[in-house]
Amino acid sequence: MTDLDERAVTRPAMRIIGTDVPRKEDDRLLRGAGQFVDDVNRAHVVEMAVGRCPYPHARIRSIDVQAARELDGVYDILTGADIAERSEPIGILRPVPGAPVITHYALAQDTATYEGQPVVSVAARTRHIAEDAVELIAIDYEPLPHISDVDAALAPGATVIQPDALEDNLLVCNPQGRGDVEARLAEADVVVEGRFVVNRVTGLPMETRGVLAEWQPGARMLTARVSTQSPQLVRKQLAECLRLDEGHVRVVASDVGGGFGLKLGAYPEDVLAGLHAMTLRRPVKYVEDRLEHFRATTHARESVHVYRIGARADGRIVGMTDAYVNDLGGLNSPFGSSQLSTVVFNGPYKVEDGFVERRIAVTNKTPIGAYRGYGQPEVNFAYERLMDTLARRLDLDPVELRAMNMVQPEDFPWVNPVGAIYDSGDYEACLRMAADAVDYQARRAAGRGPAPDGRYRGVGFSSYVERTGYASSKFLAARGSLFGAHESVTIRANRSGGIDLYSGVSSIGQGSETVFAQMLSEVVGISYDAITLHHGDTGNSPLNTGAFASRTVIAAAGALLEAGDRFLAKTLRIAARKLEVDPAQLELVGTVVRMRADHGVSVSLAEVFTGAILGQGMPDGESPGLDETAYFEPPEAAYSFGTAAATVSVDAETGEFTIEKLVMVHDCGTPLNPKLVEGQVRGGLTQGLGQALGEELRYDPESGQLVNGTMLDYFVPTAADLPPIELGHTEVASPVTTFGVRGAGEVGCIPVAAAVANAICDALAEFGVELDRLPITPELVWRALEAGRAG
Amino acid sequence: MVVTVVVNGTRVTETIPTRLSVTDFLRHRLGLTGTHVGCEQGVCGMCTVVLDGEAVKSCLMYAAQLDGHEVETVESLGDGDALSPLQQAFKSEHGLQCGFCTPAFLMTATALARGGEPLTREEIREELAGVLCRCTGYEFIVNAVERHLGARPGAADD
Repeated sequence: MTDLDERAVTRPAMRIIGTDVPRKEDDRLLRGAGQFVDDVNRAHVVEMAVGRCPYPHARIRSIDVQAARELDGVYDILTGADIAERSEPIGILRPVPGAPVITHYALAQDTATYEGQPVVSVAARTRHIAEDAVELIAIDYEPLPHISDVDAALAPGATVIQPDALEDNLLVCNPQGRGDVEARLAEADVVVEGRFVVNRVTGLPMETRGVLAEWQPGARMLTARVSTQSPQLVRKQLAECLRLDEGHVRVVASDVGGGFGLKLGAYPEDVLAGLHAMTLRRPVKYVEDRLEHFRATTHARESVHVYRIGARADGRIVGMTDAYVNDLGGLNSPFGSSQLSTVVFNGPYKVEDGFVERRIAVTNKTPIGAYRGYGQPEVNFAYERLMDTLARRLDLDPVELRAMNMVQPEDFPWVNPVGAIYDSGDYEACLRMAADAVDYQARRAAGRGPAPDGRYRGVGFSSYVERTGYASSKFLAARGSLFGAHESVTIRANRSGGIDLYSGVSSIGQGSETVFAQMLSEVVGISYDAITLHHGDTGNSPLNTGAFASRTVIAAAGALLEAGDRFLAKTLRIAARKLEVDPAQLELVGTVVRMRADHGVSVSLAEVFTGAILGQGMPDGESPGLDETAYFEPPEAAYSFGTAAATVSVDAETGEFTIEKLVMVHDCGTPLNPKLVEGQVRGGLTQGLGQALGEELRYDPESGQLVNGTMLDYFVPTAADLPPIELGHTEVASPVTTFGVRGAGEVGCIPVAAAVANAICDALAEFGVELDRLPITPELVWRALEAGRAG
Repeated sequence: MVVTVVVNGTRVTETIPTRLSVTDFLRHRLGLTGTHVGCEQGVCGMCTVVLDGEAVKSCLMYAAQLDGHEVETVESLGDGDALSPLQQAFKSEHGLQCGFCTPAFLMTATALARGGEPLTREEIREELAGVLCRCTGYEFIVNAVERHLGARPGAADD
């Protein structure tokens, strides 16, 4: 895979953790037998279509549904008035500290604040008929002045987009920091500053959102199959919105065709399908089409960072500040704007004095939500671009500048200026390995200027830390989050001699079914093949949190360890009675319990488990049954880290460039399944490259319309678009997690854009090129060349 | 109208409305839900099936056009509980994550393998570019297809 040397750390001998066992998910998916929402059907199903506001900002004067009601096959229509009467607003799961609540219902009330906001909903015999009916609904809109960028939104006198909640378009301003950073900057030998613009993008999972809602009258039971990363949170929200007891809502997420943060929390359509189902007493299905997806599923990332770094002449950083604005869109979605740009604003650099201020602006665009990395790629682009600017200003080597400022192994645990506790690591080791992998010394020695082929070559680096998992439920509570930091598992013996493992985490491609089974096999000793996963169903696992924030393994590992230990102890006690020996003399291996000293003396797990289930094989005083549930929350977040390096060649006339090689050296602590880790990192890198090189949701400032909201118009990297990518890793076990793991799911997204931008700026240093916005297109590079030449 | 088509080796005759797409025909009439819908524009490739030996995007065709032709979907691969060598290659190389795009890559590769042409790794990348994947970064998918086509070490393991 790589010619990077691997610096493995010692770890206890493990049997199955750390190996590339085949995935449990694969067999059904390879047969096309996954159960994505639209793959599940029901007799008498009704289909739903949603009518959406075609304007970025409009008052809804009237809605006339008469003609639509008369269309053959139309069964039910909902408007904003119905929704206000029959449901509650959609709640926010991740409130912004100090921010007022912007109330929104599943359908717009008097005013719509973004193009694509649901306004009416129709349930009909088929989707075709439902769509036809939507066309027949006459809505009288009064277009209002619209705002499509944050500067205009925050300008004095701007139209207030959410006047019921806000006096202007600033949702909130959150300042945080430590020390007297202005004094440090005033004393600094050099201060560099930049304004960095990060593009609005979408995670674009290949399966769009969808819901199949079934209502059982009498029992008052709603079952909703939802393509979601957080079935338990959707259950909570659906119960609230639909005024049902939580016990009367079950949410199932079988297979989820990609999430990336977009599929967190309930969306309006989930509520609408539930309401239609309750009215019609028939199953109601809604599957978002791709055009709707671009407008109605949360966008991400758009922000502007104004960053400053002050340093001594020798390169030592004395202070860092970031003032940034997030573009929230037309309302605050359940996961809204991220706080992670703040949490890791200083990256891997040891700076005592630092200050960061986040402002969130409301605009007339699709609401922002979570997306892989969630705030961290944005701020990484700012500080890592500026590190190179600083290196050039001080005439220092950018690698040495980074290394001298990095938090070092002896510094841990280290508390950054906003209170994040970096747990452990060797940040410089990753940087050095990445430098070696691109032959950095040889490249530096070769000097600058065009190569014989006329192209300019450059190399760029980007180092990062990423917060993975959450630092405890107490931490989340202090920020008003309506979810916990924990995961739970239930493990239950079955009569075949296997274990049923119940996890609330939905399977979104991350391989958790496999990794959970690996961990349980490791803890209990039972064969991997004897473990059956049951996931993503609130009927089995009502009290979990969800698959996001690179947290599921971190949180679930502790729960599996605790439940597994108890399960194993009881299994051995039951087997000891059968074999008439002391439990301490026994071990569980594969599918049997046997004497440590004499492997011929054994009893099968099927027999032990059956005895437990029947209650007939139990030692005196032992309760029947064999199942264990455990909860675990990590005491702190674990910080992943690493460095990406890119080498490029650039045509200094046209701005056309080629990434010749992309290297990523990262540390996710103990890799439970190295192949899965590599898959996650490569996937993240590709999404990061997409954002760096082409992805951008563009709004026409005149009309306020999303102008490239189709698959034809939105760039997504294909198999033919990728440069050669090389991965390496270090392995520093985290002291704050079970098995020493750190999250790995999102790291790929974080450093790519800055590494590529830095490489291009390095190649074109003699032209004074500085890139400060994404995506990096040849046109952008050409414009920067022109600007540089103009001085 | 009435359409007669061979699907996964079985002759099927169905009465269909003219605006029914091949994807909907396969998914909703025949229950072959392995063929997915991603964009209905022919861009994302989730709906890729093999039509008379060629990989095509079934969301861009009407079911009416199938009359007299032969279609293969992902459900035709493998034998009972056993994975086909192509499916096994994807499993061995970790060529899938969420699995939503997987049937489309499998059918694209099925058509490629039928072509019998030796392909370089770059050519495989080009051939696979008609199907998008948002999870894997493609590398392992390319490995799987290369392995299946016989060019990658490890093929003998299957």
